Amino acid sequence: MELNTIKDAFDRVSKKQKLSCSNTQEVIDQIDQEIEQALQKIQSASNPDSLLDHRPILVELKTKLKDMAPVTQLESTQKDLNSALSKYPKLLEKSFNPDISKAYRNIEFDTHTVNQIIASHFYRQGLFEIGDLFVQEANEPESVAVIKSQFQDMYQILEAMKSQNLEPALKWATSNADRLKHNGSDLLMKLHSLQFVEILQKGSRDEALNYARTYLSPFASNHMDAIQKLVVCILWAGRLDRSPYYQLLSPTNWDKVVEELTRQFCKILGQSYESPLAVTVVAGAQGLPPLLKFMNVMAGKKHEWQTMKQLPVPVELDKEYQFHSIFVCPVSKEQSTEENPPMLMSCGHVLCKQSIMKMSKNSTKSFKCPYCPSDIDAIRCRMLYF
Amino acid sequence: MEMNSLPNGNSTPSTPPVPTTTSPPSSKVGQLAESLRLEHQFLRVPFEHYKKTIRANHRVVEKEMSSVISGVSDAADRDDLSSDEAVNHLNSLVSRLQGLKRKLEEGSRVEHLQAQRCRARLDHLESADAENLSEWNNMRLKRILVDYMLRMSYYDTAVKLAESSNIQDLVDIDVFQEAKKVIDALQNKEVAPALAWCADNKSRLKKSRSKFEFQLRLQEFVELVRAENNLRAITYARKYLAPWGSTHMKELQRVFVTLAYKSTTECATYKVLFEPTQWDHLVDLFKQEFCKLYGMTLEPLLNIYLQAGLSALKTPYCYEDDCTKEDPLSQESFRKLALPLPYSKQHHSKLVCYITKELMDTENPPQVLPNGYVYSTKALEEMAKKNDGKITCPRTGFVCNYKDLVKAYIS
Ligand SMILES: [Zn+2]
Repeated sequence: MELNTIKDAFDRVSKKQKLSCSNTQEVIDQIDQEIEQALQKIQSASNPDSLLDHRPILVELKTKLKDMAPVTQLESTQKDLNSALSKYPKLLEKSFNPDISKAYRNIEFDTHTVNQIIASHFYRQGLFEIGDLFVQEANEPESVAVIKSQFQDMYQILEAMKSQNLEPALKWATSNADRLKHNGSDLLMKLHSLQFVEILQKGSRDEALNYARTYLSPFASNHMDAIQKLVVCILWAGRLDRSPYYQLLSPTNWDKVVEELTRQFCKILGQSYESPLAVTVVAGAQGLPPLLKFMNVMAGKKHEWQTMKQLPVPVELDKEYQFHSIFVCPVSKEQSTEENPPMLMSCGHVLCKQSIMKMSKNSTKSFKCPYCPSDIDAIRCRMLYF
Repeated sequence: MEMNSLPNGNSTPSTPPVPTTTSPPSSKVGQLAESLRLEHQFLRVPFEHYKKTIRANHRVVEKEMSSVISGVSDAADRDDLSSDEAVNHLNSLVSRLQGLKRKLEEGSRVEHLQAQRCRARLDHLESADAENLSEWNNMRLKRILVDYMLRMSYYDTAVKLAESSNIQDLVDIDVFQEAKKVIDALQNKEVAPALAWCADNKSRLKKSRSKFEFQLRLQEFVELVRAENNLRAITYARKYLAPWGSTHMKELQRVFVTLAYKSTTECATYKVLFEPTQWDHLVDLFKQEFCKLYGMTLEPLLNIYLQAGLSALKTPYCYEDDCTKEDPLSQESFRKLALPLPYSKQHHSKLVCYITKELMDTENPPQVLPNGYVYSTKALEEMAKKNDGKITCPRTGFVCNYKDLVKAYIS
């Protein structure tokens, strides 16, 4: 799609509109002038009481205006403008998908469920005021109150971190230390490191040493390098920026910890890191084009579309939206199922069970792998679990 | 990426085929272009608004101009005007022209603002590229949410969301303000604003053979019957309903017969006409006409995107207990919405490592444990490194050595 063509087309419309506007102004000015002139003539006529003196002037004015034909004068520019105004939407229709609801199934979503999803989205994005207003306006009951308070806790921690206050974050991470460890996250150590650097920057060597002894040393066994590096920094207390370890002051360290905290907080809540609403809408934007293409080709099968159990065309989503393993048998092109599981052949290639059964005549004879010259014995094929 | 699904008997030895890899980056650009093509309404609505303003302003000019000219004609044709009267008359015409000029200025100011809005949207579409994609997507979600709020009549949330995100030019709040007036009135059982709206858009409604005005007239008639104002009802029907007789005789008859039944009728065919839900129906009808007129989809954009997205994400595995939390379909609310929707379809295998949740491809090929469970090389290597070459299957507890693993080739 060429956005430039569309821009040019729009500029033409707006040029015509300006032209029509100035043209109208001119015509009105002309009428104005003619009337003003007639007025002057009448007023300067010698005999103010005469009934007849002004009549020829009025008749002359009438003729002049008639000859001027102001309404007709406007017609040609107006016609130009009108044609530009009706052409532009046609260009839009040609360049875009004029009706993205073509691939829409006539299924009514439950408004309450959708509203609940939206309210949760606002809260988890930290848009609490908008969330509250929405809940009130949509008259949604308190079903989202829990998620609101959970994310309020998270944003309080994050807000504090914005002003270099790590206390709430440390408090949360300490009380969830076991679960963080279970998730394989070293968030607690990272938070303590940030805090340690903060203390160092203030220049207090003793306090820093104390902090390292109390909070950093327990991590030494697993994070030897990192801890050593931090402790050495005590030598540069108060002037870390001129030390070999100046990178410890980089704000990106904070950004990374903020991200990790958000990720872990969501995980411990049992929530996703990305907003599920945002993920679904992006998936929709990626899925709609192939679906619309299909609907255009299959215009006659609109009815079947309403009842299909599976999408008629493959939809390629970005890899971050692949949440499950899908195995498609390269021979039968069918997705594997519990009854028709993927099987590993001795050569390392994988087919679905039914394909192997077919090629081996129900395991009665060996067959050649379709992808390499190996001879395959169906008995020796192993079921796979992705 | 299509695998050469060679039939048997290819005697030349070949290396295992390259597993399916993820889409090349060029497809990302293509995908972006494709998703921009979904934005018809985004450009169309402000343009229809602009067009409407231009047309309305022009009508005012034409009307005023004609009446000034006929004012001159009238004066010229009369022979009983004194000179003073003639002067007064012309002066009044001059001030009328001044008024018109002011209106014109104001009108062109509005036209200019609306043109700017049309431009801003083109610029916004142009600004989308691979670098700012996530920010752009975020903005699109906000636009889609504002659209939803406006259609559901959650105006305050719509305004607040637009203002706080500074996207007023990218959403159609002002267009919906016009709708709001009509909807509010209909909810108060008033038809006047709706009728005025029909008059404003007469030619276009006629073109699309809209019955909306007819339905409004029917409702007014029913209200007269309800009030037992039969004489007025008949006069009303003669004046406003009869003209629709040629095209909508059946409905007209059905409603007209209510005269004989009154509002307390128990006859189902007629009783329904007196139900208050008829007004809700009018609101729905109006929303449809309104959307059509502005080139909007009849459904909220959100519903359209959600439906497509849910289908694209939906797999049989989403409904299992161990579905990852990152999958929107692990949530009850999303599962509920997706229930009546079709599953996605894949032409190629997409294998996600159970441990790392990363896609397994050429760079990170799948490896099979002796028990048949498959994980990515990356995950297994790391596990082996940490545990002296020992591998523990996280789903079964099965233990083996790293060297017992075999690679699987997925085509
Ligand atoms: Zn093979």
